[in-house]
Amino acid sequence: MKIFWSFTRQAFQFIVAYRFDFFMEFVLAVVRMYGIYWVWRILYTQKPGAFGVDLVQMTTYGVMGMALEMFIWSRPQWYMASQVKSGAIDTDLMKPLDFHLYMLARSTGEMLIGAGVLGLPALLVAYIFLGVQFPPDVLAGLLFVLSLVLGFLLLFHLNFLLGSLAIVALDIRHISWAYFSVVRFLGGQIVPLWLFPPFVAIIAEVLPFKGTYYIPISIYIGRLAGADALNALGFQAIWLVALVALSRVLWGMAHRRLVVQGG
Amino acid sequence: MMEALRLYVRLVRLSMQARLQYRADFIMGMFNVIALNAVNLGLIGIIVYRFVDLNGWIIWELFFLYCLWLLGHSLYSLFFWHFWDMEDYIVQGTFDQFLLRPASPFIQYLGREVQYIGFADMSVAIAGLILAYTNLHLQWSAAQWLFFPVVILSGTIIETALTLMTACIAFWTGRSSMATNLVMEFNVLVQHYPIDIFGLWFRVIVTGIIPVAFMNYYPALMLLGKLDPRAPSAWLGYMSPIVALILSLIASGVWRLAIRRYSSAGG
Repeated sequence: MKIFWSFTRQAFQFIVAYRFDFFMEFVLAVVRMYGIYWVWRILYTQKPGAFGVDLVQMTTYGVMGMALEMFIWSRPQWYMASQVKSGAIDTDLMKPLDFHLYMLARSTGEMLIGAGVLGLPALLVAYIFLGVQFPPDVLAGLLFVLSLVLGFLLLFHLNFLLGSLAIVALDIRHISWAYFSVVRFLGGQIVPLWLFPPFVAIIAEVLPFKGTYYIPISIYIGRLAGADALNALGFQAIWLVALVALSRVLWGMAHRRLVVQGG
Repeated sequence: MMEALRLYVRLVRLSMQARLQYRADFIMGMFNVIALNAVNLGLIGIIVYRFVDLNGWIIWELFFLYCLWLLGHSLYSLFFWHFWDMEDYIVQGTFDQFLLRPASPFIQYLGREVQYIGFADMSVAIAGLILAYTNLHLQWSAAQWLFFPVVILSGTIIETALTLMTACIAFWTGRSSMATNLVMEFNVLVQHYPIDIFGLWFRVIVTGIIPVAFMNYYPALMLLGKLDPRAPSAWLGYMSPIVALILSLIASGVWRLAIRRYSSAGG
């Protein structure tokens, strides 16, 4: 646990060193939140109460999608790809910590800092200027936090899998945009799944991506409540277990390959 | 001038040859860009599928707006994308090489690279524009047909001038990518949505300060016949080339200042 925290601290120092970039990142996020806010506001003025949610719920959904974007994306895949390319990965493998856990520790540090430095201030702006609402009750708030943690872990493992894949098979630089956009699309970051046309919804409903944005935010705005919310959390948990198992297997293969090649 | 052009073409040919060595990269890169655009258009499509229109813009009009921006952008990304990397040259001091050789540093820098990704953007944009034109049953007059390429080139110049200016910030601060990102953020919103849905201050920014709305929104009003000739702002529909001209003049001034600043710093 102590080692885990020391890596988290490392991530913190990195972020402090780049504080100007973080400030700009914050400005960008505010612009994005503002943009999506107006899109939903106009659409819901045209068609009030469409699809069982009201204007404030929908703008909250959109703004939360942009706010979460700032911190739930961990980037172990970039780190892995660049370490492999430079050969520095062997020093990581020598560290007295399982590599998978090491990546998780780094990502958790980045996420916590991102949430504190970017996410919360941006949400504060959104509460004040964009009329974003709080969860309907305390229970929904707690379930949201739980679901958010699961969402973070899901996304981390998807990225970790991609990173392992980068070692085994391919150069991931050139599919990154495609990957990001597919995750955001199927994750419901901008448009929630209940608006998808049926043939896309069927796919998005079963894949793990909806556990990243759609489930946490839907719980937050009260669209998923009670048994539905618990089911959704179960869905996230099941996929998480599957992805952890898959990550261990794929990383095992990648690791063997690195060792065979002489590190 | 001719001399500079000849030099540029030669440099570009060299960098093309270097690029074509990596064919798999090329294919993956194209795939990447097409997937990105497909997802973006898909999202716009879903929104309009559910809500019929967005503030009076129907689906093909929104696609037209998106692709009009993208076509201008594709030329920018083909030839000028590497302005993003300029800060690295400045921070590492490798920018010196362009000042030592007896040719314009600007041409030398431009000739370093051609981004094939622009071709993917261009194919998506052209396909989208053709589909939009047919589905909207547009019948452009000769004047509109003449205006169309002017709009595209103006769009390219507007984006290029803005990116060049933000990239030049690095000559003073050493960092610039975040400023370029900020411009890009406004670009993305303007590309995806008609700016009439946004609040007043946003419209003021993208019209007067970071005038990216002239890449697609204002000319699209004219080309889609959405322009109300009696509206007091109707003239904005024709202003893209003027905006492009003004911006390129400012950008070339900034560039000159930046080069002078770099030399005087002894870097």
